[in-house]
Amino acid sequence: MSPAPLSLPPALEPLLTVDGIERMYGDRVGCRDVSFRLWPGEVLGIVGESGSGKSTLLRCLSGIDVPTAGQVRFRLDRELVDIFSIPEPTRRSLMRTAWGIVHQNPRDGLRMDVSAGGNVGERLMDRGDRHYGRIRGSALDWLERVEIAGERIDDRPRQFSGGMQQRLQIARVLVSQPRLVFMDEPTGGLDVSVQAKLLDLLRVLVRDLGIAAVIVTHDLAVARLLTDRLMVMKDGHVVEQGLTDQVLDDPHHAYTQLLASAVLSA
Amino acid sequence: MTPMLRAEHVSKAFVLHNQDAAVLPVLADVGFTVHAGEAVVLAGPSGTGKSTLLRILYGNYRPSTGHVHVSHDGRMVDIVTADPRQVLEVRRRTLGYVSQFLRVIPRVSTLDIVRDPMLGRGVADGVATRRARDMLARLNLPERLWTLPPATFSGGEQQRVNIARSFVDTTPILLLDEPTASLDAANRDVVVELVADARARGAAVVGIFHDEAVRDRIATRRLDLTTFKAAA
Ligand SMILES: Nc1ncnc2c1ncn2[C@@H]1O[C@H](COP(=O)(O)OP(=O)(O)O)[C@@H](O)[C@H]1O
Ligand SMILES: Nc1ncnc2c1ncn2[C@@H]1O[C@H](COP(=O)(O)OP(=O)(O)O)[C@@H](O)[C@H]1O
Ligand SMILES: [Mg+2]
Ligand SMILES: [Mg+2]
Repeated sequence: MSPAPLSLPPALEPLLTVDGIERMYGDRVGCRDVSFRLWPGEVLGIVGESGSGKSTLLRCLSGIDVPTAGQVRFRLDRELVDIFSIPEPTRRSLMRTAWGIVHQNPRDGLRMDVSAGGNVGERLMDRGDRHYGRIRGSALDWLERVEIAGERIDDRPRQFSGGMQQRLQIARVLVSQPRLVFMDEPTGGLDVSVQAKLLDLLRVLVRDLGIAAVIVTHDLAVARLLTDRLMVMKDGHVVEQGLTDQVLDDPHHAYTQLLASAVLSA
Repeated sequence: MTPMLRAEHVSKAFVLHNQDAAVLPVLADVGFTVHAGEAVVLAGPSGTGKSTLLRILYGNYRPSTGHVHVSHDGRMVDIVTADPRQVLEVRRRTLGYVSQFLRVIPRVSTLDIVRDPMLGRGVADGVATRRARDMLARLNLPERLWTLPPATFSGGEQQRVNIARSFVDTTPILLLDEPTASLDAANRDVVVELVADARARGAAVVGIFHDEAVRDRIATRRLDLTTFKAAA
């Protein structure tokens, strides 16, 4: 069973509401009929085997891809805003400030020709910060939090290992203090030892900052460690969802039972 | 007496979809109430469903029928129908579960593991550290281990970390699944004392104890699960 998360008293209103999301690729189902609510500070995991529609769903939720049906609404101030009915530039700006996206491949989330400090600082400039000293100080602080030595601040990401690039991407996303973070297989391409380090870092950051997150993973141990709630996908559909430890320890759907038994004591 | 936990008509059958949808009936129509200060010990031979019941009370397993009402913030919450974030909130402040296994978190030190639930409840950092240290000392865990993650500790050492974490700031309801299983006599005595202290503070306890002597020292009441055994 998972450790007690450091959470604030439950909020009254959801941060994100998702209703009937569908994404077709021609005749092929990417994902279909997905609905859920996400509350501030909550961490939702999406699990399922390769091709089950996890990435497709995440792209729709995060505004990267437009669903063929359904609604995604995000709480802005007091209002729930349909993210696909607002003008494109507004959505783009939200994607950089109110929420953040951690891509599986750090190269998709980083500017490879810009220094580590620049990658982090750029996000503060997006928010309107123009004070060079403060931006650099903040970038340094974030590099430290993701365990990248401050002396590497002027190096480019391509001089970093895969694990460091991923940590830099996380710093770049978290520096703008998003209320919601989307992550697609954040530890995907990394060695097991590097994964453990990154996972612990994510666990602590998500907990201490109280941000909500949607994390796609095929690794049930990762889901157990990081998430409060789990959605299990198969062939584009959600077959089971609930409290993470409940879904993993007492799975009800045939497919979830198969998944859970494949990884003993995940 | 204040009722802290009430199980009503709890039944559980596992449906094993990948074994030809075999149905494994375990519990049928279990009902009981636990009041503040009581320690109910679940009895019955191995395989009766003691752990299954405890997990249902914690919201970890879903019963096939029935409800589990838990006193949380002065009102009764049904852990079976509560949504996930309510269940997590009830667990954070009201409902503690201790098994014989520590679920280790990579890279987190023993001291931080023990401090963690207190910090989650808003206990000040310094206070949490002091209480964590006192509890680890009381459970005779050598101080040189406190700064290390328990991944490499022996079974008994890990179990003591788990007990320290769970008893350092006890919740009003404690669910204990053989927490003394691999402890020596001295540490078992500490656990018996810790449970008594928690009860004295008004905690309601539901527990499973393999050791007959421990069971007799802790129980204020026994619940024999063989009487609720589902027909196979
Ligand atoms: N751009 C695309 N064009 C056509 N089909 C796609 C595209 N992206 C994904 N799919 C299909 O949608 C389904 C779900 O894929 P995906 O969301 O990538 O799954 P997952 O992330 O769970 O591995 C698969 O059948 C996949 O082949
Ligand atoms: N998650 C599960 N899936 C399927 N069967 C289970 C599960 N958990 C427990 N059981 C079965 O339920 C029965 C009761 O087990 P348990 O509650 O562990 O008994 P006890 O704690 O009394 O020894 C056993 O037959 C066990 O195999
Ligand atoms: Mg994918
Ligand atoms: Mg048992």
